[in-house]
Amino acid sequence: MPSLISPAERDYILKGVECNIRADGRQRPDYREVILETGVVSQTSGSARVRIAGGTDVLVSVKAEIGPVQVDPETGDGADKGQIICSVECAPSASQQFEGRGADDLNNEITQMMSRILCNNTTSSYTSTAASTTGSSTTASRQSSGPGGINLQKLCIIPGQQCWILYIDALILDYGGNLMDAIFMGTRAAIFDTRIPKTEVQDLGDGQFEFEVLDDAEDTDPVEGREDMPICITLNKIGACHIVDASPLEELCTEARLVVAVNRSGQLCGLQKGQEGGIEPSLLLEMIQFGKTMGQTLIKQLDTKIKAEADADLAKRQRGEPVHKLGFFAQ
Amino acid sequence: MSRVELLSPEGLRIDGRRPAELRKITSTTAVLSQADGSAYLEHGNTKVLAAVYGPREARHRALVLHDRAIINVEFNVAPFSTGERRRRTKNDKRLLEMASFVKQTFEPVVVTTLYARSQIDIYLQIIQHDGGTLQACINAATMALIDAGIAMTDYVCACTAGWVEREAAIDLNHIEESSDTSEVTVAMLPKSGKITLMQMESRLHVDKLEEVLSLAGEGCKQMHVVMDKTIRDRAEDLAAKMAV
Repeated sequence: MPSLISPAERDYILKGVECNIRADGRQRPDYREVILETGVVSQTSGSARVRIAGGTDVLVSVKAEIGPVQVDPETGDGADKGQIICSVECAPSASQQFEGRGADDLNNEITQMMSRILCNNTTSSYTSTAASTTGSSTTASRQSSGPGGINLQKLCIIPGQQCWILYIDALILDYGGNLMDAIFMGTRAAIFDTRIPKTEVQDLGDGQFEFEVLDDAEDTDPVEGREDMPICITLNKIGACHIVDASPLEELCTEARLVVAVNRSGQLCGLQKGQEGGIEPSLLLEMIQFGKTMGQTLIKQLDTKIKAEADADLAKRQRGEPVHKLGFFAQ
Repeated sequence: MSRVELLSPEGLRIDGRRPAELRKITSTTAVLSQADGSAYLEHGNTKVLAAVYGPREARHRALVLHDRAIINVEFNVAPFSTGERRRRTKNDKRLLEMASFVKQTFEPVVVTTLYARSQIDIYLQIIQHDGGTLQACINAATMALIDAGIAMTDYVCACTAGWVEREAAIDLNHIEESSDTSEVTVAMLPKSGKITLMQMESRLHVDKLEEVLSLAGEGCKQMHVVMDKTIRDRAEDLAAKMAV
């Protein structure tokens, strides 16, 4: 992760962006090539590795564990909900600056943002849509789960007692710019890869419940609402223009950064402006609009890839062939 | 506690290996863009990533040695690497101990006098844990150091061996490791046959030690062949690309 840039390099990048040609030959709205593979860590419920051609390498894992439900003491919310706990860790292999406690600030910043976008589910909207059953079922389910998409009610095993906790751990192994987009792409892929074991709840009478986790690897549930999970697009304002998927050097020339989180139906699920520069309101709206359309196309492409890989793996398993994962051997 | 049958009547181990058989090893180098040298090693289901930075200017003035380089090792374990999710802090005692083992292993091998007043950092990341992390880390670090072009007198090859029920066996996996078998990790320089690291956990009868050690030595030699092949293949591949 470079931290300095010479005036000549900065000038080169600025002028280039102005003429719509970037240092690596891309145009302003072009993404780099992305390598994505799911199911790379066998000890998890779901995992994915994302590598952006310039160097960014992110490993996201989802682990489903059983734990007590978390009830908000003020509102009493959450008794019938599972939980999602995000954590991001930048390994020192990604950059020398991440050595020791060097990555703590960045870890915290990204973790908070992920939690805000993925875990922020509101019950109030759920009850209101549940009451008006006249609406189409798809919109009802979408609104039921707030911006995060994932249906937390489905993760609850015994209301008020036990639930599934999804631990989403992102590990950043290499840095080549555009961390946020890679993390969110990886998270989406890892959640799509996740299988949660089925549970059977027995009512023992007088408010006592007991449950059993069914030990069948074939008969598991996907995470409900995963299609509605948002991904994010980071837009970097350089000069009067904005670019996506910035390289590390381009990130150093960025005056202002805007992270737009959007789901497949084009709803905005989160916005965050970063870095010191300002953005004019007209440009801001244009950037959000651009991020929205970009995000929707990206989700579509991502989903086709994830589905193709899952289908290919399933076909292999049914034929009894071993499924080989490339992991870090895919360059 | 019910004991698992670690050795079948036919003499095969729990994962179907013979006692003196290593798990499948696959490795590659130069996987990272930012590090000066890096390597990724899969030892059965144990997966390790090593990154090397340096030699570079020492970060803390106080640590600088005027006649040689200092080696700094940092260990990281991914929270999802083990069966149960667990976050480890950076000052976990066990991790610090492992880091110091790796440091001691490499100090006599790296020609540190060539890089006076500088620092070499080795960062190790365990992605998946299935027994034998220390050996996998040392092997990965060797390859990353070679990839970084740091002068070394020899490879460092590490291998574990232990006494499984009634026989000596090498390269123990997690199940064998966790069921109270004695385990010795040995790091060896294949050319001279010198041992740079030896660490034993649990207890072992002295009479059995020699057999276990010689088996570990055999394992180190096998590791050397595998690692050398990866390094040579990568070098040939690079040479071929440069010739065009």
